Amino acid sequence: MSDERKLSRRNFMQTAIWGIGGLIGIGFTVPAISYVVGHSLKGGQTETWMQLGPTSKVELGTPTLFTFSIQTQTGWITNTEQISVYVLSTDGRTYIAMSNICTHLACHIRWIAEQNQFFCPCHNGVFDISGNVLAGPPPRPLNRYDLKVEDGQLFVLFGG
Amino acid sequence: MVAKINRWLDERTSWRQVWDTIFLRKIPKVNWFYTLGSASLFVALNQAITGILLTLYYVPTPDHAYDSVQYITTQVPLGWLIRGLHHWGASVMIVLVVLHMLRVILYGAYKYPREVTWFTGVILLLVVIGFGFTGYLLAWDKKAFWATTVGTSIAGTLPLIGDTILRIVRGGSEISAVTLVRFFGTHVWVLPAMLLILIGVHLFLVIRNGISAVPKRGG
Repeated sequence: MSDERKLSRRNFMQTAIWGIGGLIGIGFTVPAISYVVGHSLKGGQTETWMQLGPTSKVELGTPTLFTFSIQTQTGWITNTEQISVYVLSTDGRTYIAMSNICTHLACHIRWIAEQNQFFCPCHNGVFDISGNVLAGPPPRPLNRYDLKVEDGQLFVLFGG
Repeated sequence: MVAKINRWLDERTSWRQVWDTIFLRKIPKVNWFYTLGSASLFVALNQAITGILLTLYYVPTPDHAYDSVQYITTQVPLGWLIRGLHHWGASVMIVLVVLHMLRVILYGAYKYPREVTWFTGVILLLVVIGFGFTGYLLAWDKKAFWATTVGTSIAGTLPLIGDTILRIVRGGSEISAVTLVRFFGTHVWVLPAMLLILIGVHLFLVIRNGISAVPKRGG
């Protein structure tokens, strides 16, 4: 044991100060991260079957717009949000339900009857009657909802 | 590796000289009362960090202030901790700066050549009290509302200019959205800017003039 190997008072204090300082730093950083991230990563709604309306409302061969409202909780604010769904049936027996949200950057698309196309006003995305991309930047067809018919009423599986 | 980076930086910035001036300066033999200033600085740092975090969720409007504070306290992960640190830190801050001031008074440390350090300290005390007064309203509960009603009314009792001061502080004749948002702006922009500048000057002078020794009996 040489004298140089011994911990001097100065070195001890230096180590202690850096150590305690580091612990305090961690004590701030770790809670801060969890606080900032907050509920940002929490999943949205749980899956539920939402009632759209009677099948008789669907015009054969034309996407028909149905809307329903859901309650959403964002931060400390409770909102009512309108959700729109296009339902298409060509034969009156099978139905498909398409989201009205553009697959490019989430603008709302709408059905242009004269052109027989869905059109997105944000970046000129164009979809055909069953939601396939015809033109513009959208990377994939319109999202579809699972759909069921019970007692002549249409239901879509929403959320999740 | 670290030593190499340090040397590289030091050659270009002389940071080591700055570091030594701040942390390795010569001081007289002192006691624990001399740590009150550093303790105040530490709590001020705590207030800054937790205060910045609180603004990530807090909304300074009458229809959201209370709810956003409740959201922070009950919903945000560790929000109770961040708000608690800020809340209790505020009280600790007042206690520490007052004790720090008492030490300076009782040891006569405000005398030549440290008068300017003392002056900045006096203004810093007012700034800290201002932080407490403006921050108290922001939770926007009954206690906050009525405490600010009382506090601003006290300003209103000044002779001649009282009513004018009261209206300027409240941003009108009563406590409203205008009051809340100007208290918020003062609390997060005006006072922190003043605090930063004044602490800068205060610490510069503490280092520039050195600290006073514990006074000796008699002599």
